[in-house]
Amino acid sequence: MIEVRNLAKSFGDLRVVDDVSFIARDGEVTGLIGPNGAGKTTMFRLICTVLRPDRGVTLIDGIDSQRDPLAARRRIGVLPDVRGLYTRLTAREHLRYFGELHGIPRGELEARIDELVTTLRMEDFIDRRARGFSRGQQMKVALGRALVHRPHNVMLDEPTNGLDVATSRAVRDLLRQLRAEGRCILLTSHIMQEVGVLADRIVILAGGQIVLEGTPAELRRRTGLHDLEEIFMAATQQAAREPDLAAGQ
Amino acid sequence: MTMWATLVVFRKEMRDHLRDRRSILVAMIYPLMGPLLLGLMFFFVGGSMRVNEVAALVVPVVNPESAPDLIHFFESRGVEMRPVRRNYWNAVSGGRIAFALVLPVHPEAGEDTPLAVRLVANPARFDSIVATGRVVDMLNQYQHETARSRLQTAGLSAGLLDVLTITQENVGTAVGPAVILLTMIPPFLIFTLFTGGVHVALDSTCGERERGSFEPLMMNPVTRNQVLAGKLGATVVFTLMALAVQVVAFWVMLHSVPEESLGLVAPPSALRLAIVVSVCLPLVFLASAMQMLISAVTRSMKEAQTYLGLLPLVPGLAGMVLALAPVTARPALAAIPTFGQTLLMGQLVRSEFVSLGFIGITAVATLLTTALLLVLSFWLYEREAVLFPQ
Repeated sequence: MIEVRNLAKSFGDLRVVDDVSFIARDGEVTGLIGPNGAGKTTMFRLICTVLRPDRGVTLIDGIDSQRDPLAARRRIGVLPDVRGLYTRLTAREHLRYFGELHGIPRGELEARIDELVTTLRMEDFIDRRARGFSRGQQMKVALGRALVHRPHNVMLDEPTNGLDVATSRAVRDLLRQLRAEGRCILLTSHIMQEVGVLADRIVILAGGQIVLEGTPAELRRRTGLHDLEEIFMAATQQAAREPDLAAGQ
Repeated sequence: MTMWATLVVFRKEMRDHLRDRRSILVAMIYPLMGPLLLGLMFFFVGGSMRVNEVAALVVPVVNPESAPDLIHFFESRGVEMRPVRRNYWNAVSGGRIAFALVLPVHPEAGEDTPLAVRLVANPARFDSIVATGRVVDMLNQYQHETARSRLQTAGLSAGLLDVLTITQENVGTAVGPAVILLTMIPPFLIFTLFTGGVHVALDSTCGERERGSFEPLMMNPVTRNQVLAGKLGATVVFTLMALAVQVVAFWVMLHSVPEESLGLVAPPSALRLAIVVSVCLPLVFLASAMQMLISAVTRSMKEAQTYLGLLPLVPGLAGMVLALAPVTARPALAAIPTFGQTLLMGQLVRSEFVSLGFIGITAVATLLTTALLLVLSFWLYEREAVLFPQ
């Protein structure tokens, strides 16, 4: 479970995340959505400890990520928006590198890699160097890298960005499988349809603050709108018109 | 876990960069340029001087008819006297002849008047230097023999001419141009130390940041210090590889040049070169630490390349100055990183005596500086912005 309490982060005078609190529960997919510049990526970076908050606490399965960042990182697997692969390493070497950084014993690691190769359908390119990989192949390597240590909490930033239909569907199936295993999944996406289909709970960010939060049914009831895109537009436009009211929705 | 994470990062960087053509080029091929350059100088320049010293001497001479005794003296010693009619000055400056022996048109008569002999030469040409040296030796010999003969004719002892008997003994293993060429080895080594691992240092830090792979790396249960230590280790190994390639290449070159080429009596032994490598070791760490520091403060790989391209010139220039204006090795100079090593390496390659105390001061001062730079680098890498492309 990922619990965020009163998280705040500024870059100079610009307040990017402003007193944000929410919970991403186990066995659920929590969708974090918002317009460009809403603070989603910064939120992601704060939760996975590559940024330090000015204020607030993040608990990963009850572990304070500021006090013990390494223990918190052992509990999360992250698929960042920029996949950041090493072009001279093979897909298998990527998975092995990140597995070794998690201290997984060699034999067990190789078994997990074989398992991921099957799950993510990487058989065709697992021993090829990453130079020239398609976006789908890059995403699969980055996803495998995030899952190699079997994290209880999985964070995915735009997981289907730039992928074809078949690969996007495979990713969605995988997320459902992870949810069924009782893992906590936090994802961001610009594709409202995807969030609507996958997310059990939705957090809408705008201007660094939460403007709306709840299950899809709760959001429909609260806004009186049916379509998630309409709900998103209404919430973010209202926040833009009334920034002071946004925090206290 | 502390050492394990560092080892994992180190192994990944080694595998990654051993597959990188640029890293291999910088560490394994560029270091060959110095030995190749010096080798060519020893081979071609030394070779041409040696050939000239043993080849039959041909002396272009102007107005040979004015000093028949002198011409006979030269010819009796196997020298071919080749008359030059006119424009000898243009012929020498134009490079058509190496030099000209110019005798007067109308020499003054009488034994008490010296014969005015001129040698017109171009000292920029090695063949001219060698040939005129041999001609001057023969002219001195002629003068000495003629004077002895005149003294004997006058009833005086020929020994009156011999005021001194001069013998020069050389304690060094190199003389003449070889000394200058050997003194150029330390600057080449220093340059290699500051360039050998530079691509690895840059690519694994600035490059990693630009490609966006630093951020996912730091989402693992590892500290930035552990990651940096692994990257530093790979940089150090590549620098050592470059150093090893260059030292071996210098050894092969020095043992392959023609015997006594340019005055190289005996090339430095393998043991001497091993000591040179050990003197360089602290600099390997210093150079790697400087590269890490520059990659921490620069915003892009291009910016870092600009600074790191200039970095080897600073210690390299000190070495070039020392090559031309030798400085006595004093303990205060030993404490200046790169300068102390340049002095030491100069002494070693010239097979001179080196002080263990000097080696110790140099190593300790350099390692202390390295430690300071590393502390600063590690501190700078704790900044948040260092993970993300600028």
